[in-house]
Amino acid sequence: MIPATLDGHLLVSGALFALGLLGVLLRRNTLVVFMCLELMLVASTVALVAFSRYNGILDGNVFVFFILTVAAAEVAVGLAIIVALFRRRQTVQVDELNSLRN
Amino acid sequence: MTLEAAKLAAANNLWGAILPELMLAGVALLLLALEILLPRRQHAVLADLAGAGILGTLLGLCFNWDSGMLGSETFGGLLYHSTSGQLLRAFFLIAAFLTCVIARLTLARQKMPRVEFYHLLLICTAAMMLLAQTNHLLMLFVTLETLTIALYVLVSYHRTSPASLEAGLKYVLMGALSSGLLLFGITLLYGVAGNPSLAGHAARPFHYADLAAFLTANPNHFLASLGIVLVLAGVAFKIGAFPFQIWVPDVYQGAPTPVTAFLAVASKAAGFAVLLGLCGPGALFSSYAWLTTPVLTAMAAASLLFGNLAALTQHNVKRLLGLSGVSHAGFLLLGVVAAGATPMALGAIYFYLFAYLLAAFAVFGVMAHVAGPDDADQELDHYAGLAKESPFLAGVLTVGLGSLAGIPPLAGFMGKLFIFLAAFQAGARAMLAVAIVGVVVSIYYYFGWIRAAYFETWTLPADAAAGPTRPARTPVGLLAGVTLGVLALASVVIGFYPGPLGHWLAMR
Repeated sequence: MIPATLDGHLLVSGALFALGLLGVLLRRNTLVVFMCLELMLVASTVALVAFSRYNGILDGNVFVFFILTVAAAEVAVGLAIIVALFRRRQTVQVDELNSLRN
Repeated sequence: MTLEAAKLAAANNLWGAILPELMLAGVALLLLALEILLPRRQHAVLADLAGAGILGTLLGLCFNWDSGMLGSETFGGLLYHSTSGQLLRAFFLIAAFLTCVIARLTLARQKMPRVEFYHLLLICTAAMMLLAQTNHLLMLFVTLETLTIALYVLVSYHRTSPASLEAGLKYVLMGALSSGLLLFGITLLYGVAGNPSLAGHAARPFHYADLAAFLTANPNHFLASLGIVLVLAGVAFKIGAFPFQIWVPDVYQGAPTPVTAFLAVASKAAGFAVLLGLCGPGALFSSYAWLTTPVLTAMAAASLLFGNLAALTQHNVKRLLGLSGVSHAGFLLLGVVAAGATPMALGAIYFYLFAYLLAAFAVFGVMAHVAGPDDADQELDHYAGLAKESPFLAGVLTVGLGSLAGIPPLAGFMGKLFIFLAAFQAGARAMLAVAIVGVVVSIYYYFGWIRAAYFETWTLPADAAAGPTRPARTPVGLLAGVTLGVLALASVVIGFYPGPLGHWLAMR
């Protein structure tokens, strides 16, 4: 078994962040985009916990609790908007949400 | 943690220091309670209560301006109280009050529930006021998210309108993306600054002073620069600067008019409050000026050019104001860049923000009177003949747009002049040229709007059977009339006598 190192954790975190960012930019379904946004937040929590562990400062662990709370609030509001919009427009594809234009 | 340490921490929690924010939160909760207790037909009084709560907080803040805590940290270093923090607190309170005035008009017209709107507005304002005094990256993240999530709901507040919901969804996606970038930047800074093997590593890596000391000790660290760029990207989303402005036109168009006004003024100012805390003179990132200055300069130039050129082709006035807001962000960024070299730039930025507040709310107030039940449908054509039907509204519109365009002798002109002077002193000649081109272009589209109000007459469409396609104008009420009059008058007076305000702003 490979021993866990700070570099290993950061590699995972960086990969999660890159996956999330690519997903947000490339995927067209709003729900998938939303999941990718959550992935970006999770990437930060992994890195924060790893940094806390290896730097010996607990602040990062406390920060994670705030991130979890904020992410939950964000998802609650975001999903509510998606549901309300789906009722009016019958679609959640980013391309088809283009009623606002000049 | 020992009992002594806990006692020490508790002694530092000076709740009096955040009394204005607590008052706002108290009024916000009171609104929700009263909604349950009062019968439905008395709910109109709750809007008055919200406005009165904001005004009361503003008065309390003014009477207690020097609270004895200026220049000191509270809550274990989470907050730092300064005169510029007080100034921004007052700014956000004024913006919130003016938003209430506009909201009374539009919410009644759309038969929307009122209480939650004012509740969210108050929470959002309180978060902005804390944001202006933040001294800690955790506080920065939490206050920024509080205000952003409240704004998500406010943007999609008109929940029967697909336009409002679509704007809300776009704002959520873009806002969440920007918080993801900001958060990852904060994480990198935290990890690097806490690394025990680096020189000058910080004991409290989220704390501004500790982090700044670390950054000064390591002025060329790669991960730290990556973190700084990510944090700046997150903030650039908030202020709507190029290349993070893609959400601006759609969200401004779809959001209810009072929310658009609040976004345009208060949210932008909140972004600049953060930016000044990060990149201002002697601030957190000042030892990375080699990185931040070119990034901010490029963003300023691109925002000035893109905002003004894109606004030229707009027919919808809310989109037009959104894109012109991008160019205003460019002007303010120019001020932030200059602030590294000349101390007067800081006063210039605050002056510009106040001038922008007066002018933008005058214009949005007029828009609320001209618009119909569909808030997203506000075309330039709807303003044809406004001067004949309502000379007062047309006059306020002219003063507001003139001030936004920077026509002398209005306040907006003085604001631009101060920014130009600061940029000149800082030696940013090329940027000055770009900014002047921006001003010239902006005069064209602002005056197109004024021309529609004065020189064009409204004609019925050819197929008269379809009826007039223009919404009926709302008559000007007493409160809205007085407010709009005061805003227009203030723009003129401050333009003629910028001395007292400028002096006061530069005194800090």
